[in-house]
Amino acid sequence: MSCRINLDHVSQTFNAKGSCVTLFEQLSLSINQGETYAITGPSGAGKTSLLMLIAGLAQPTTGQGHYIKGQHTLPLSELKMDVGFIFQQFHLLPELTALNNIALPLKLRGDKHAQQKARHWLDKVGLGHRADHKPSALSGGEQQRVAIARALVFEPKFIFADEPTGNLDNDNAQRISDLLFHCCQAHNAALVIVTHSEALAAQTQHCYSLCHGQLQLSPTL
Amino acid sequence: MFGQYIQLAAQFYWQQRQQPAQRLYRYTQVVLMVFIITLSLTANNIQSYLSNNLQSLLGADVVISQSQPLSAAQLAKVTAMSDEILLTQQLNSTLTHQQHWQRVRLKAVNANYPLQGQLLTSHSVGGPAKPTASGPSSGEIWLEPRLIASLGVSLGQTIDMGDAKLLLSRIVTHEPDRLMEGHNVDMRALINSADLPLLSQTDDLIHYRYLIKANSQQTQQLIQWQRQHLPAAQLHHKRGNHPLALFWKRTENVLGLASIILFFMAAIAIDLLSQVHVKQEQYFSAVCMSLGASRQMGIAVSCCKWLLGLLSILPLVLILSALLHYWIMGQLSHTFVGLNWKIHWQPLLQSVLAVWAIFAIFQIPVWLMLYRNSVALLFNRQEGGANHWLSKLSAVAVLSLIALIYSDNALLTTMMVTAILSAIVLMIAMSWSLLSIGERLTARLSGLLPFALFMMKQRIVSKSTQIIGVGLCAFLLLFTLMLLRDIGATMQVYQRQHDGNLMVSQATQVQMQALQQWADEQQITVRQHKPYLYANVVAVNQTALANLDIQPSDSLATLSRPIRLHWQQKVPSNNRIVAGQWWQADTKQWQQLSVEQEVMTDLGLAIGDSLSLIINNRSIDFTITASHVFRPGHGSITFWLQAPSELIDQVQARRYAMASLELQPQHWSQLPQLWQQHPSLRMVSLQEMTRRFDTTLAMITKVISGFTAMIILLAIIVILASISALQGKEGVKNSLIISFGFSRATCQQLNVIEWLVTASIAAFGAIAGTSIAGQLIYQSQFSLSYQPDWVWLLSTVTVIAVSVTALGLIASRHSLRRDVRSLYQQAH
Repeated sequence: MSCRINLDHVSQTFNAKGSCVTLFEQLSLSINQGETYAITGPSGAGKTSLLMLIAGLAQPTTGQGHYIKGQHTLPLSELKMDVGFIFQQFHLLPELTALNNIALPLKLRGDKHAQQKARHWLDKVGLGHRADHKPSALSGGEQQRVAIARALVFEPKFIFADEPTGNLDNDNAQRISDLLFHCCQAHNAALVIVTHSEALAAQTQHCYSLCHGQLQLSPTL
Repeated sequence: MFGQYIQLAAQFYWQQRQQPAQRLYRYTQVVLMVFIITLSLTANNIQSYLSNNLQSLLGADVVISQSQPLSAAQLAKVTAMSDEILLTQQLNSTLTHQQHWQRVRLKAVNANYPLQGQLLTSHSVGGPAKPTASGPSSGEIWLEPRLIASLGVSLGQTIDMGDAKLLLSRIVTHEPDRLMEGHNVDMRALINSADLPLLSQTDDLIHYRYLIKANSQQTQQLIQWQRQHLPAAQLHHKRGNHPLALFWKRTENVLGLASIILFFMAAIAIDLLSQVHVKQEQYFSAVCMSLGASRQMGIAVSCCKWLLGLLSILPLVLILSALLHYWIMGQLSHTFVGLNWKIHWQPLLQSVLAVWAIFAIFQIPVWLMLYRNSVALLFNRQEGGANHWLSKLSAVAVLSLIALIYSDNALLTTMMVTAILSAIVLMIAMSWSLLSIGERLTARLSGLLPFALFMMKQRIVSKSTQIIGVGLCAFLLLFTLMLLRDIGATMQVYQRQHDGNLMVSQATQVQMQALQQWADEQQITVRQHKPYLYANVVAVNQTALANLDIQPSDSLATLSRPIRLHWQQKVPSNNRIVAGQWWQADTKQWQQLSVEQEVMTDLGLAIGDSLSLIINNRSIDFTITASHVFRPGHGSITFWLQAPSELIDQVQARRYAMASLELQPQHWSQLPQLWQQHPSLRMVSLQEMTRRFDTTLAMITKVISGFTAMIILLAIIVILASISALQGKEGVKNSLIISFGFSRATCQQLNVIEWLVTASIAAFGAIAGTSIAGQLIYQSQFSLSYQPDWVWLLSTVTVIAVSVTALGLIASRHSLRRDVRSLYQQAH
């Protein structure tokens, strides 16, 4: 069963100090499960807002978004159980060990094998030996690997990553992006990345540029 | 340079001022400062009042009082050391008129009375009082207005007392030596000394008081002479301590004990808030230092900011303290007539500086951290480690300091601290075990409860702190409420059940025989009957009582007066031996004593110590061989000091007895007949006891209510502080949960579960703490058997737990508003 996200002529505006600011307008976009996407553009262009909108966490000012799940067309709010997030700042819970951070979404879902699955994912991202370490004892790259495992452990259909390598050096950034693409591909998850990194964007199948409120498909880099 | 520091500190301070954690920190500081300053101002005002009062109201330059008259030689000696001397004799008696009777403090004076000051009398109740040159003539009696109303007697009528018929000729409104009575509220009557032998009370304990006019040199001579030759007598002089001063000192110290409770809660609040506060200081200093500022500058700015914080709340603190002080003075003016509101600046300044010093102790870990750590470490926001434990140690040090300064009743303080520590240990153990077991048992279950338990277990340190904070507040609140409730209800029921409704506090052997005969005639059973004699404790291990280096306490205050010494062969049924050994029957070693445990603790006594007692002018050394405590359920008449029965063969002293009876309604009208024959028979009805008790209770209620209000206020602050401390973490957790695809309702449900678990453990800890405190304090301090009303206790703790949960949920609503976007905002 293949799933897809459709955005149809969506616009996003907000009020700032009495004046209406338009982030983007009349955007149409499809995100297919199993494919990879990049959204690039200058700071303040509205990339993160667009990501929130695609993930169903925000409502567009005009236009509509749909979640096509097999034969069913659902509102975007139904998407939330099928998405995973990866942040630039990692946002691991500091009191929890690496293993427990990964087990967190599974435990919330009442998964009885949360610990085993989390350990499996920890091995997968190459941190099996750091299971009982807390985030403060991990390097930036290691923290991001834990964050990737946490986003993928419950096997979501869509992964949204906002600047996932923004805080990392080149070597680490390369390793993390390889891991990210590999994991998404292995689990047939769509990957939507917001990034300033041309190198990272170049690895995706579809690269979009958001500038002056317009979304344009960039030629493959 | 210094100006720059202040400017930067002010900027930093004003930016942080409105943050919730800073606001709570400020509230805690305000509450504590208001409490300490008000207490200090009130104490000072009363001390000053008492001092002035003493100068003008003692009625003599020196007063010597004791329960025997001075011998001719002693009187000659005292007369030689003074300008003028006047004897007054006081005794407790019962006046009757028709069907009315009333216990009174009767004072017999001669024509020279008063020696100094003004005696004011009037010719009608409520009429103008006029200075009167001398006391009543022979055959006359003067009563105070309350007594006239109580007996239903009018001026011109006669009152029968023993063989005397006394004419009520005046109403006495003020006696200049009245101050010697301290806070005694007994009704008062004046007669002429010549009439005293006619009252058939020669066997009774008469208090002889010698009012002496003396200059300062003579006063010093008298003091020296009294210490050497009359150690059992009490001496007061204008340059000495007021008899009420010790009473106030004790009251002040009890308030001090309560302040330990308040400080404990404030320490928890400050400790919780410092989790947020320290990080901000750390980050700010790290930024400044990374921009080229020196380490000293970081510390200087932090100090300036801390000082600015205190200065900014000072005006509010002073206004609130002044208002509260004004109100308390108004309330106390009923007890201390003529007490006026006045601000004393020196103690005010001292209190402010003392509280600031205490706050500085809480701040020291922050400054040490800035001094020791590098910029990198400051940025890293390390948690735990040495600073964390230094902060905890600071809190413990502050509490110990307060306990050391204010502790009045060492036993009570120890008990309270024991109960608090037990509750803390219990709550820590419960938090760890319940959360660990709960997490393990529910690991294979689905639902939000396993997740909530998992999260709480993972955050065990911060959660335990929160649970302890809330639990201690609930415990202190519950205990205060329970004490307030039980002290009224249980005591009355208890006394009626075990002691009958008439208590005989002092009866001579003749009076006791008459009472027994009267009881037999009326078919009344005498429930308890215990003999005693009066003794004065003058020295402990050969050191005079006045020279003992110990804190003032109830025990010490009582021991400075004649006390009842009971003799007994076997351990009384309402006593239990807690240390040493009770003597063998028929022992030849009659100089042994069993001392009540609280007295032992207050005076720092141990088995084997010696106590010097003066019994009927003879000094006898006793060795403490046992220590006993009260055992409820077998009558309430118990004694602080008990000796072997062989004592009575060895000492010649007047013997008295205490007893209790249960009277039926028809017997009460027969009592005046008994009193008429034996006016000095000291009996008190339960009704009268209840009335006195109610007056005391009303005062206690006011004090406890005030403290309850402060405890509730601090409890709210502690809960808000505990939420504020975890707010950031909670916000991230809620945002992440939403990012995992869950709704805000899930976060809300998790929050409810967490608060219910927190409140339940806290409630259990509160019940356990209350129970421990009840077991320890009720029996020892109030002679009450601790019989908790579980329905009331559980309902109250449920109300507290529900309130805590509700407050927790309301205060957490901010972190529940978070979504995935908030993670971005936090990151930026």
